[in-house]
Amino acid sequence: MTDPAVRVVGVSKKFTLHTEKRNSLKERLVRGRSRTDGDFWALRDISFDVPRGTTFGLIGHNGSGKSTMLKLLAGVHRPTSGSVITDGRVSALLELGAGFHGELTGRENVHLNGSILGLSRRQIDESMEKIIDFADIGEFIDAPVKVYSSGMYVRLGFSIAVTVDPEILIVDEIIAVGDEEFQRKCFDYMFELRKRGTTVVLVTHSMGLVQDLCDQAVWLDHGRVQRIGESRDVVQGYLDLVNDKEAESRPEPSEVTGSHARLGSGEVRIESVEYLDGAGNVSPVLLCGEPATFRVHYRAAERVKDVMFGLGFQHESGVNVAGPNSGSGPAPVTNLLGEGVVEFQVPRLTLQPGVYEVSAAAVHRGHTFDYVDRGYELRVRGNSNAEPGLTRMFGEWTAGTSSPVRIDDEVANV
Amino acid sequence: MTTMTVRERGSMWSYRSLIWNFAQRDLKARFKGTALGWLWSLVVPIATLLIYSVVFSTIFRAKPPDFGSGRTGNFTVWLLAGLTAWTMFAGSLNTAIGALLGAGPLLKKIYFPPYTPVLGSVLALLIQSMIELGIFLVVLAALDNISWTWLLVPFWLVLFAVFISSISMALAVLNVHFRDLAHIIGVAIQLLFYMSPIIYPMTLLGNAHKMGIPVAKIIAANPLTQFIEVFRDLTYGLTPGPPLAWLYILVWALAMAWVARRVYRARALDLSEEL
Repeated sequence: MTDPAVRVVGVSKKFTLHTEKRNSLKERLVRGRSRTDGDFWALRDISFDVPRGTTFGLIGHNGSGKSTMLKLLAGVHRPTSGSVITDGRVSALLELGAGFHGELTGRENVHLNGSILGLSRRQIDESMEKIIDFADIGEFIDAPVKVYSSGMYVRLGFSIAVTVDPEILIVDEIIAVGDEEFQRKCFDYMFELRKRGTTVVLVTHSMGLVQDLCDQAVWLDHGRVQRIGESRDVVQGYLDLVNDKEAESRPEPSEVTGSHARLGSGEVRIESVEYLDGAGNVSPVLLCGEPATFRVHYRAAERVKDVMFGLGFQHESGVNVAGPNSGSGPAPVTNLLGEGVVEFQVPRLTLQPGVYEVSAAAVHRGHTFDYVDRGYELRVRGNSNAEPGLTRMFGEWTAGTSSPVRIDDEVANV
Repeated sequence: MTTMTVRERGSMWSYRSLIWNFAQRDLKARFKGTALGWLWSLVVPIATLLIYSVVFSTIFRAKPPDFGSGRTGNFTVWLLAGLTAWTMFAGSLNTAIGALLGAGPLLKKIYFPPYTPVLGSVLALLIQSMIELGIFLVVLAALDNISWTWLLVPFWLVLFAVFISSISMALAVLNVHFRDLAHIIGVAIQLLFYMSPIIYPMTLLGNAHKMGIPVAKIIAANPLTQFIEVFRDLTYGLTPGPPLAWLYILVWALAMAWVARRVYRARALDLSEEL
């Protein structure tokens, strides 16, 4: 079938903002009809099609209208103008376990939630075992849900929603719940749904997820479509913009941001650390895989000899990732007096995207002139192609020649 | 090939299992964790019945009409007829008015027709009232006060259910927009109780006027009065009831259904934003 599963045509959504709620009769009587204090257009003239059987991502920064769009797709809100047309059974996962009633048991809640999602009693009974199994909550299914742990709550909610066997699944950023094992289960399930031909519409802030999972994506910005197309292109465009914006708004990188103790005798002081991108421009943000330079400004109050400079990079998770120092190479600085700089250049930044705390030190044979412990912040951004880990290994994959193997040959050789 | 918006799917009939599930939720949640459980649904009306019986038959010496079978009237049984019908009405309104606010967190997350939790609440209360109705009929049967007119009770019940659920629906929707409606309704229900011939027979009123206000006429015009009178005629008095009264309650039931539909259409479809 070539018809799209979801068709959004010229959809706009207006919310009326009341500066104060005027939900009581008295308010109405006393002040009359609430003047509309201002309309807020959450979405303006959005159009896109989601082809059947594809996975579609909605991305954008906070407040861009993603969630509103999702609610329109799920039918929770009505568009102010335009139309949302869906072809197939829709199941929406906007919040897991939203409809649970604390006093009722898990089993009773499955019945209630299932019928909200449009399952008949028989279908629910048939899938009950599957649901209990998937949620992995054991005998708790017959306990009131108010005694559930939050993980159990969410697992049960997810299990119900996916058991509906939807033709169109609408998912808000809910995958980020539950423990590692359950998350993996959810991902597996999403991939399975995709394989089965379920159309999935997904809102997430995880660009990696969009690239892994989505065929196409739309990028919303202040309620308007910024870009639409192949998920890779859309994500790339989005990341470029985010990177640019961040570079603009970051404070001067040379400022000491940390609050850790500063050590050293002070003959040489580290004044600042700057980051230079591949083009040689000072930038608060560096890109993984691009050339980078770390420039350390120092000031020596008196003449000192044989100074060794060092840098330390600690990931936000607390792991020390690297600690290059000038002692291991030909020492660039032997005699210092006054102000100057030393630079550390890397042909390709191997740090993975993330936030790092940078330390800098100037020492002389075990004597510390100055040591700025985690005094600077470095943000590393990636272009795309997220890989796991703290550092990236640059290399090339090649395939060796392969030759066909006949099984009986092998057997004969044995 | 079905191409439509998410909301256009399904008639009220196709949502019956959801309505039923909401009703079950109400019923189960109401008595969970209480020592007497379901018995509470009997204890409260019986206590009410005893209090009114003592107060009105002993202190005020109200005299009930005779049974349809000719037996001398019994005030308690006569009162039970009125109270049974009244409980259905007042109980439904009291629980259903908050049904949409209660379902709010759900309505904000997933689409289902907002009438389902309201009708579920009403259904739950009607089911609970059936126990009371059953006891009432058993008492009558034990007193040998039984006739073919009982067969009309289901018809009466349908009209009454339409009437009650329509009012409940309209009020539940409006209550989301005007939150203090619930308090007003609390007072209005109290007033209605005394404006209906539950603890006094219509015959007691005669042609009562008070300060120029035709009290008796107002009470007779109250649709609840006619619902209660017809029910009493069918069960206690064993007469089919005046045709005009039947017509009256039919018109009221339909009118309320129409009003409820109007209110629902105008106000219920964007509820998820108001909750």
